[in-house]
Amino acid sequence: MNARIAAAARPLAALVLAAAIISLVLIALGASPVAVAADLWQGAFGNWLATTDTLVKATPLVFTGLAIAIAFQGSLWNIGADGQLIIGAMAAGALGTALGGWPHPLAIIAMLTAGAAGGASWGGLAGWLRARREVNEVISTIMLNFVAAQVLSWAVHGPLMEPSHALPQSVVIAPSAQLAFYFEPSRLNLGMTVALLFTVVCHLGLFHSAAGFELRALGRNRRASAFFGIPIRRLTVLAMALSGALAGLGGAVQVSAITHRLFETMSPGWGYEAIAVALVARLNPLAIVPAAIVFGALDNGSQAMQRADAVSPVLVNVIQGMVIMILIAFDAMATTGMRTALFGLAGDARPSADAVAGAGDA
Amino acid sequence: MLEAAAITRRFARTLALDRVDFCARPGEIHALIGENGAGKSTLINIFAGRLKADAGVVSLDGEPLAAGSAHLALKAGIVAVYQSPMLFERLSWEENLALGGFGAGVSRNDLAAAAQCAQPLAARLGFDLPPPGTPVERCSIGERVRLEILRALSFDPRVLILDEPTGVLAPAELGAFLELLRRLRGEGRIVILVTHKLAEAMAVADRVTVLRRGRVAAERLAANTDEAELARLMIGEITVPASTSAAPLAALGDRATPALTVEQVTLDCDGRRALDRLDFTLSMGEIVGLAGVDGNGQRELVELLAGRRAPTSGRVRVRAHGGAITVIPQDRDLDGLILDMPLWENLMLARPLRDRFTRRGWLQRSGAVAFCGELLERFRIRSAGAASTAASLSGGNRQRLAVARALAGAPQVLVAHDVCRGLDLRAMADVHRMLREFAAAGGAVLLISSDLDELLALSTRLLVICRGRVLALPADDCGSERIGLLAERIGLLMSGAAS
Repeated sequence: MNARIAAAARPLAALVLAAAIISLVLIALGASPVAVAADLWQGAFGNWLATTDTLVKATPLVFTGLAIAIAFQGSLWNIGADGQLIIGAMAAGALGTALGGWPHPLAIIAMLTAGAAGGASWGGLAGWLRARREVNEVISTIMLNFVAAQVLSWAVHGPLMEPSHALPQSVVIAPSAQLAFYFEPSRLNLGMTVALLFTVVCHLGLFHSAAGFELRALGRNRRASAFFGIPIRRLTVLAMALSGALAGLGGAVQVSAITHRLFETMSPGWGYEAIAVALVARLNPLAIVPAAIVFGALDNGSQAMQRADAVSPVLVNVIQGMVIMILIAFDAMATTGMRTALFGLAGDARPSADAVAGAGDA
Repeated sequence: MLEAAAITRRFARTLALDRVDFCARPGEIHALIGENGAGKSTLINIFAGRLKADAGVVSLDGEPLAAGSAHLALKAGIVAVYQSPMLFERLSWEENLALGGFGAGVSRNDLAAAAQCAQPLAARLGFDLPPPGTPVERCSIGERVRLEILRALSFDPRVLILDEPTGVLAPAELGAFLELLRRLRGEGRIVILVTHKLAEAMAVADRVTVLRRGRVAAERLAANTDEAELARLMIGEITVPASTSAAPLAALGDRATPALTVEQVTLDCDGRRALDRLDFTLSMGEIVGLAGVDGNGQRELVELLAGRRAPTSGRVRVRAHGGAITVIPQDRDLDGLILDMPLWENLMLARPLRDRFTRRGWLQRSGAVAFCGELLERFRIRSAGAASTAASLSGGNRQRLAVARALAGAPQVLVAHDVCRGLDLRAMADVHRMLREFAAAGGAVLLISSDLDELLALSTRLLVICRGRVLALPADDCGSERIGLLAERIGLLMSGAAS
């Protein structure tokens, strides 16, 4: 149990250490780390509006983070959450313009379903290629990201372009398909609620369903899974499609609640940031929500920080990157011992089978 | 002279080695014996520089070795062959040899040269090399061990450490191999043989060091001791059950009801004929031993019976439908268990158990955990509970878990592949008892092994597999009480002499 608590505390420790290192850099540059931190906090959680906006910014990260977690749990390296989110947004955005007379709840459900289906097709395609043609999903999903971006660009310049042809964007979706803000002027909307719902669904699915167990087994030992008759191909396609569906849902929520129409760029790279979120959360769905909120807060606070301290918002990306690097280092230290991890001594410090055997017999 | 003085090594809270002194002289074959978890692997890993001792010094001819450097150990002439081969899975066997000592003097890209260098050595040892260009991931464990022995010898070692190398060699190969060890000894090299097999240690070693629970229990000249004494030293006060001694082959089976029928099964995979017109039956209540050198189609047969492969022609019939065959794979850590999953989840890998604890797609966690606890108790598996990971179990307990899981699914037919490989006597006796009880209760067991002693001790009937063909022993041999003669006969069949 202590080991589990330590493992859970490591992401927090990584964040603190990253902040400490950045502080040193800021001092060297002549800026005050305290002021920067205060402004970052102010921008992210300073008032009701800032706090809710952090949640709004975290919402697509929760969806894409869940998408990554589901795939990675099965050792399916889905780098394509960005493309899946874009295709989901496109499917939802295209459908949304045609939902004029529909009752609001039905229109919303139709939007989300279209988004999930779009993302599922994009992720499922990579899964199918992996299962049937042994195409490495890392490569196919990265490539499909570019294809998705180009397809969206073509769509908003072509078939989905607004009639005036003034800008490369689609017409606004029907009012019935738009998610309302709970408390104007805050942009807080149903999106985060749906994200939380799917977080619970993913948790139950991964850790309490037989299919989730099979997926985790596949992710940890492919050969044993094959021996015990786990349907590897079916599971690969299914997990990749579900992963894509979650990312696509994120895209649909974004169109329905925030943008209300399609632009050339629908994602600032959420699908990639989600990999960081999922890794920090240890691929654990319940931990993805706080991780996404931290990353969303950093994104959100960076603008206030830039205004107040004349510090580039890129600093925030540096912090995010450092958290990941430090976390990896911490994990290495925990498994191989501090000295080995730092100085790289002793070829293989992992206990040999004999030593582990001794532990079992003791 | 390879000397270790007061070596201590600790893993977390476990003291793996406690002030171990060890000394092997040039021109000697030194057997290192001990149960699982006694510290043998840790000690040889320290010799080979893969692990660093917490305290103590290893020296070769009076020169202290740089601790924890595999590279420097190799340069000093210490070469180890491990129980789980250390080969590059995705590379061909020639490339693996070229990356090792066979690359010396020739370009590492010149695979033909590496293969050519290996031929005479392989021929001298009587090893069959795989077809050219075969990636190691498609080689059987036996082929891998043979490759690794070749690679180790190509380094021209001063100290050759062999960790359980003989388990997967054929009797014919074994003779040549032991002969080679004697020749290496004659050249003034040091050979350290890590083994469970007391008979083997006695047959070839000059000196024996016994480890027990991280300490040296004794060092003996082979001439001054015997197997009984070594067994006592290894295990301590506990008496060895009789099951490891050779029992006469008895026809206990109820031949009238076949549980498994394999009819003219042929399997082609990876462009070669892996199985060739297999034809045999298994009856309820019998343990049928399938003897053979590893890499003669056993793995493919197991995969076929596990349902991972479909026969190219012929068919497999089981008395009952669906899930009636349960397989215990050869490589328990790679194929049988998921080491970083808890024990109860490892049980759920088995389809019958997973189905039993699944309701409408949801795993019944508490039921499964309770069931796992019962099983751990019933099969006396030492663990920190159902929630601890499989990695925390010792090798023997991992195998007890694998067998317990297979039996808990109440199969009709149990296919056990090298089920006792690397187990100590106590764990082996436990596993044998579990298999006997299963057969006594009406189950049919196909016991696949390259260990003749084990097959003779357990089997009611013996088959031999060689180059994908299964040969039954002539009926009069099965009743033979001249076990020694029989073993010789089987050994000849295994090495293909009779085919």
